[in-house]
Amino acid sequence: MGKYLIRRLLQVIPVLFIISFVVFCLVFVAGDPVALMLPEDASQEDIEQLRESLGLNEPFHIQYFTYMVGLVQLDFGDSFRYNQSALPIVLERLPATLELAAAAMIIAIIIAIPFGIWSATKKNSPVDFLATGGSVLWKAMPNFWLGIMLILLFSVTLGWFPVSGRGTLSHLVLPAITLGTGIAAEMTRLIRSSMLEILNQDYIRTAKSKGIRNFFVVNKHAFRNALIPVVTITALQTSTLVGGTLVTETVFSWPGLGQLLIQAVNTRDMAIVQASVFVIAFIVILMNLLADILYKILDPRIKY
Amino acid sequence: MKRKAFWGIFLFVISAILLVGCSGGTSTGETTDNGQKETDKTTDNGQVDKTLTIAVGSDMVSFDIHNHNNTSTEAVHVNMFNYLFKKDASGNIINELVEEYEIIDDLTVEMKLREGVTFHNGDPLTSEDVKFTLERVAKDDKLKEYPNYKQIKEVQVIDELTFRVVTHAPEPSLFHRLSRLGSGILPKNYIEANGFDHFLANPIGTGPYQFKEWVRDDHITLVPFENYYNGKVEEWDEVVFRVIPENSTRVSELLTGGVDIAVNIPPADWDRVNSNEGTAIVQEVSNRVIMLIMRATEGLPTADVRVRQALDYAIDDGTLADIVLKGGAVPTKTMVGPGNFGDNPDLYNTFNYDVEKAKALLAEAGYADGFEMTLQAPRGRYLQDAEVAEMIAGMLAAVNVKVNVEFLEWSNFVEMRNANENKEAYLLGLGNSMFDGAYSVDWYRAERMAGHTDYKNDRIEELLAASASNMNPEEREKQIQEISAIAAEEVPFIKLYQEKINIGVSDKIDFAPTSDEMINAASIKRK
Repeated sequence: MGKYLIRRLLQVIPVLFIISFVVFCLVFVAGDPVALMLPEDASQEDIEQLRESLGLNEPFHIQYFTYMVGLVQLDFGDSFRYNQSALPIVLERLPATLELAAAAMIIAIIIAIPFGIWSATKKNSPVDFLATGGSVLWKAMPNFWLGIMLILLFSVTLGWFPVSGRGTLSHLVLPAITLGTGIAAEMTRLIRSSMLEILNQDYIRTAKSKGIRNFFVVNKHAFRNALIPVVTITALQTSTLVGGTLVTETVFSWPGLGQLLIQAVNTRDMAIVQASVFVIAFIVILMNLLADILYKILDPRIKY
Repeated sequence: MKRKAFWGIFLFVISAILLVGCSGGTSTGETTDNGQKETDKTTDNGQVDKTLTIAVGSDMVSFDIHNHNNTSTEAVHVNMFNYLFKKDASGNIINELVEEYEIIDDLTVEMKLREGVTFHNGDPLTSEDVKFTLERVAKDDKLKEYPNYKQIKEVQVIDELTFRVVTHAPEPSLFHRLSRLGSGILPKNYIEANGFDHFLANPIGTGPYQFKEWVRDDHITLVPFENYYNGKVEEWDEVVFRVIPENSTRVSELLTGGVDIAVNIPPADWDRVNSNEGTAIVQEVSNRVIMLIMRATEGLPTADVRVRQALDYAIDDGTLADIVLKGGAVPTKTMVGPGNFGDNPDLYNTFNYDVEKAKALLAEAGYADGFEMTLQAPRGRYLQDAEVAEMIAGMLAAVNVKVNVEFLEWSNFVEMRNANENKEAYLLGLGNSMFDGAYSVDWYRAERMAGHTDYKNDRIEELLAASASNMNPEEREKQIQEISAIAAEEVPFIKLYQEKINIGVSDKIDFAPTSDEMINAASIKRK
């Protein structure tokens, strides 16, 4: 296990380098940020002058070399927009995004586990139809629409929660529900199908025939074995949440990484885009590693 | 067994409700730590809540006053920094930090600072601060404001409060330059002692409000400066700029009393804001003119002045302003609107519209059966820009001109312009932060437009050359007016309308927007 962990951690380095190269190429191909940095009335001469001062008229390989020299020192350069080092700006936003992602995941788990188990044990019952039908409905609702609807209902009409911003726990509720319900829908379906498969296994029948109470058969014998795919999806969804809260963060003015990234892409703030993608990629790799470790804990038969 | 399963789920549901319930409890009756507050401007203990909350669409980018080029950033800065000169409500340039000045010669102006002005840390404002500030932006070509200040050669310090601004060449727009975005005065000693990074994190100026906190993409909080030279502003104990990029969220915050002012409300939401009790939309004409930039390159139909005039007559600017923009614009035939130096009132709030005349002009130019052209337009950059472009295509179809509208994402649009890949026409909005018409009419200069629109008029060239260094304001004003009149006749650009600024305001406050889009908290009053 120890060797496996070291090997996996070492693999992170080339993966991050490949990702940073791809991002650099994409940002380079996307075009020149200078024109966007100056207003409509800037002259061509002004644009050229600024481009030269920022070193953006250098050829690809020179710019990439400069970028790589910085990268090995974890220096992504200065943000064009903020005129400050990019990585601290990105890291400053991370807590807000992690807070939202964690809250969304908790809501998803709170909804998905009981409904998933319930609909599997009551297959083809009204509860099952409600859970599966509801899942499709929630998954089908786009986040930006759901977010705006929740604001209209719970903030504007009922006045229960603040409309937007970050501060108290009440600010967290609506964005976390917006993000969490979509994941809950996916997880409910997954738990249901995973549980159905396991409830048909011989050892479950054996357990039941031994007279063990149904509650323990379902929640101890079956559920623990049904957890492996759930852990996979939870880990993947958590990493998606870190990078994928863009729309929800914008709708709720949540000052996280997603909002920063959207603005950076719009203004072609290369340093911020590169630093954000780098940080998100690192978290995705870390979450995948965590999932692999959890497999081992859940199923001792798994060997690395 | 079934009962236990039921209780398990029941517990989950109860805990979820509790979580939601507890959270809901904290949302009422108090001012949160990020400055949000209740609808009522009176707090629980009966005290008047003196927090002004303003919702803006994008965060400010930096406290580097010379390196942002961004109106919403300047809207915050104007509360913390003072300019040497400022514009009054009618657009006249009046003294701010400068008490008196004297024009020594065409290149030199001597100015004397007000006495008793101090920075937020208590340091007095001196000529050295002015020298440090203006020479920084006039000499560092990496700064985004450099193009607007590079005309300044140096600042000569005469004594503690007196200094001379020397320009490279006669600079008739000097006072306009010193009363706009990026003209705040920085604290030399504070920056030299602590470094610029420290200044960026803990900025100080001489303005009525001083910096308290900035949480990026969330909020900026300012508090009154006790020793402001004009007296401490008592109206507000705290001014909070909240960043809310999504339009519908910004509107919802205004409707629920989360904010007192919400900027840039799109026309689709005006009815919602106006019909809500306690909120209304207030408008002011901005300094941005929306127009079609016509390509007059030889070989294109639009090279013929009659064709450009015909297209101008075929477009009903009144319908665009009143229907498509729901009254959020004023039709115009000039780029130099009211409040700008050199404006021509005859060309404002008027437009050409006569379909028959348009057809006749096209026939005269040899296009009786019409022609096909491309109109490039951004989407989402200006108010209802895509709708306006489509409506124009429809209007031009009435005179047999088939318009292919090509929508471009903003960064591609900018690239198209810079690479001179513009076709017969493209839709553009041009502002003028200088409020000097010379800056607007310079767009007709042949050298500037070579390879882009290829428009050239010899009389305009003459007038531009004469006005560029003309230190006689009366003559210069007439020259700019004449250029505007020629351009209205020859339509190198088809001017459509001047956009209005649309701001949602709570009826608990008294706020009148200004055309420069600044938000001066000191001038906003409680009702």
